[in-house]
Amino acid sequence: MNESFVRFTHADLVAIAPEIALVATGCLILLVEAFAPRLRRWFATLALAGVAVSLYFLLHAPIGTTFGGRYETSSLTQLVGLFLGGAAVLAILVAKPYLERTGEERGEFYALLLWGHVGVSLMTRGLDLLIVFIGLETLSLAFYVLAGIFRRISASSEAALKYFLTGAFGSAFTLYGVALLFGASGGTRIEELSSPGLAESNAVAFGLLLLLVGFGFKMSLAPFHAWAPDVYQGMPTPAVAYLSVAPKGAAVLVLFRVFGAVFEHGMPDRFRTAIAALAILSMTLGNVVALAQRDAKRLLAYSGIAQMGYVTIALAVFGRDALAAVLVYFFAYLVSNAGAFAAVSALYRDETKPHPVGLLAGAGRRAPFASAVLALCLFSLAGIPATAGFIGKFFLFKAALEQGFYALALIGVLNSLVSIGYYLKVVYILYMRDPVESDPPPPLAPADRLALALCAAGILALGIFPSSLWEIARHAAATLPLISP
Amino acid sequence: MDALLRDHLLTLVVFVPAAGAALLLLFPRSAPAAARNVALAVSILDLALSLPLWTRFSVASEGFQFREKVDWIPQLGISYSVGLDGISLLLVLLTTVLTPVALLFSLSHVEKEVRGYSVAFLVLETGMLGSLVALDLALFYVFWEVMLVPMYFIIGIWGGPRRIYASMKFFLFTMAGSLLMFLAILFLAIRYHAVTGVWSFALDDLYRMTFTGRTETLLFLAFALAFAIKVPVFPLHTWLPDAHTEAPTAGSIILAGVLLKLGVYGYLRFALPLFPDAAMRYAPWLGVLGVIGVVYGALVAYAQHDMKRLVAYSSVSHLGLVVIGVGAFTTMSLSGSILQMINHGLSTGALFLLVGVLYERRHTRELDAYGGVAAVVPVTTALFLIATLSSIGLPGLNGFVGEFTILLGTWLSPHRWWTYAAATGVILSAIYMLTLVQRVFWNPFAHEENRELTDVRPSEFIAASVLVVLMVWVGTRPNDLLDRIRPAVETLQKNVASKQIASVKP
Repeated sequence: MNESFVRFTHADLVAIAPEIALVATGCLILLVEAFAPRLRRWFATLALAGVAVSLYFLLHAPIGTTFGGRYETSSLTQLVGLFLGGAAVLAILVAKPYLERTGEERGEFYALLLWGHVGVSLMTRGLDLLIVFIGLETLSLAFYVLAGIFRRISASSEAALKYFLTGAFGSAFTLYGVALLFGASGGTRIEELSSPGLAESNAVAFGLLLLLVGFGFKMSLAPFHAWAPDVYQGMPTPAVAYLSVAPKGAAVLVLFRVFGAVFEHGMPDRFRTAIAALAILSMTLGNVVALAQRDAKRLLAYSGIAQMGYVTIALAVFGRDALAAVLVYFFAYLVSNAGAFAAVSALYRDETKPHPVGLLAGAGRRAPFASAVLALCLFSLAGIPATAGFIGKFFLFKAALEQGFYALALIGVLNSLVSIGYYLKVVYILYMRDPVESDPPPPLAPADRLALALCAAGILALGIFPSSLWEIARHAAATLPLISP
Repeated sequence: MDALLRDHLLTLVVFVPAAGAALLLLFPRSAPAAARNVALAVSILDLALSLPLWTRFSVASEGFQFREKVDWIPQLGISYSVGLDGISLLLVLLTTVLTPVALLFSLSHVEKEVRGYSVAFLVLETGMLGSLVALDLALFYVFWEVMLVPMYFIIGIWGGPRRIYASMKFFLFTMAGSLLMFLAILFLAIRYHAVTGVWSFALDDLYRMTFTGRTETLLFLAFALAFAIKVPVFPLHTWLPDAHTEAPTAGSIILAGVLLKLGVYGYLRFALPLFPDAAMRYAPWLGVLGVIGVVYGALVAYAQHDMKRLVAYSSVSHLGLVVIGVGAFTTMSLSGSILQMINHGLSTGALFLLVGVLYERRHTRELDAYGGVAAVVPVTTALFLIATLSSIGLPGLNGFVGEFTILLGTWLSPHRWWTYAAATGVILSAIYMLTLVQRVFWNPFAHEENRELTDVRPSEFIAASVLVVLMVWVGTRPNDLLDRIRPAVETLQKNVASKQIASVKP
């Protein structure tokens, strides 16, 4: 074993300070719960503070690699860190009122969320496949528990079991892929995959395919998506707001890293075809099946499957502009998708029951702010201009057309036409149907209001003034050694 | 303030309604009267701001005026770039006139969610104005799509019984065309970058590109489809009768008055000058579709029993005439088409408004439910008759000038036979419109409940008379408009001709 891996240097500690802060906050919350349970209502604030400190450390960490070239701090990981931190902040904000409503306000929820967040962070910063894998498992373990944290609700237990089984399946694929890549390259560092000749090796090709499958599970990319609707339906909505955004972004980044290392001189066509096929399948299946959904969370799950299909277009296109487009896309996806889940969490009164879309009838009048933000999020997910979602698609399709992927871009826009069918269906129910419920929905908690306002502001700001984020994303994407095809 | 008015007049005109909408959101939902009045005041303010555009517009100078340009996404050469030529000037004024007219009508007729209604109309106005003045393709696309959302809500929330179906159909039809245009716009800019090494979405730059063969055809079709759906050109018109019938009156006024024109405008501003070869190749097809639209729209209009559907199909017919003028592509036919767009906005706007007046009182638009009401509502009848005569092209009113110019211009083009078909449409329009007037206002008095009908209220009267005054003005002084249209048309033809010559060279 490499000596530097055993002995921490000061630089190593500074580099993982963001993660240490998160782990420590999680532990602190559990300790406070044990010794001073009356301080329970401060948990959310504490968790937010933990995320803030972690982001502070991340943005101030010196640029470079640590742990013997196994851990990275770069403008790319910082930008992705901001994205992940944003997801965590939104999830915590939504969680507080949610947990209060359900009477389940316990420290575990925040602690597990923070630890899962550590795992995602490791995935994005690790330059060693083992670190990436450990990150993936940390995330998964935390969220297996979060899925089933409401023991009294049978849907929640079902979600936990389903997520655990499929998740373990996905992890096994990933680990097998890592093993094959290790066998072929003789090392676990991603950098070592770029040694000459490996790009043609069959073992590497097979390993990459397995990684694609494993991370495809985490991204809920069709045909590895089947768990997502069931798990989203049973899992507490704030946890879904995080799970449906952050790990997907991390998984795509890892795929870009690994493929970028192996295919330094351009991706071979067979891979490109396979990835493009996944993209088309995921977009089409997600959008078409979403049309038939009656449950708000399931609908958003299928919408997410379709959205990951669009993102996968960028993986097929490859290159710096594609990665920059993906980064912008994920920021847009963060505010739109987490915003949509935040609104769903705020609009439904009974957490223990399913969330039929029909129950939102007339919500536009009964809960105007949450409904307006939900509508805005859906328009953004549909890619209507002046919203963040349009900007994401704009750069994505631009990258695809620029590299000559005309058919893929065409299928992409036709898919977004299909998606309008179900996004507008929700808007129609919100605003154009008479209410079925007579009692008013729960008053909007301040934390919910803040989360929704942040998402709405993000959607409009990014939709109207996208140029600074695009500049930062391009700069960040340039730090990854990708060769434009 | 003076500097703002001098240098940023166009921006002010475009964004004052949006600012008004933002202001309205600060009002409580429970104060409908305030929301109504503020929205009306904002739209009148915008009209006042837009009048200097007319007076300060220089008839002599070519090209775009009131230009403004600010970087928006500089890395891709996307800028907030706006300007006016004679074509967009008239359509901008039509928009700023029709929006207060529509809101004035709504004053006494919309009770549900007044604040949301007012916000939707103001956002819609900014969207329409923005699409008309944008000189950057990315900017244009944003405004073009932004229009859809408020119109969707206007039809879907404040519309008639089948409003859900109609609003969804409207949205999906329009979006289907726009998405292909979106790809085409991206492709254009990418090509420009590949050739020049510089990113730009500016219309001036992209005008200089020439494409050949299949690429040009596909790009042209992507643009043309988006605009043809909006016009709508037969056979893409099926969303229109549904949307019109279900939309609230004010929504119909704006939809027929401005939104449809944006299709023709987009064709003239983008599809034609960007891809002149393909456009010229497909011009005969366009003319033929226009001819079919004229005759088909007129025949179907004649068969309607619902007043609003009748007027909606008459729009298909009238816009078919405009499309013929565009397809003929002579200076005169193009000028006529542009003038006729304004005329159609005024006359159809007035017709929808007056149908709305009757509907709000009797809650039916069936022709048979009326009959002989002229004695009960004399002022409504008089206004309706003027709008009808304008619509069917009576000399002295605006419709005549537009139709005559189109017919004459088409006669001078190689496609002389279109003139016959187009003239048929003019005759048919007299038949179905006069039948409408006869069955509703004249004929023997048939239904006792119509005795209770009340005549126009002051607000309705003002709204309708504004349009009538404009009809007379355009009818008697058409050169005020044509003088502004002609330079723009000549520039357009010159651009197209020079590009065609350029692309013939190896």
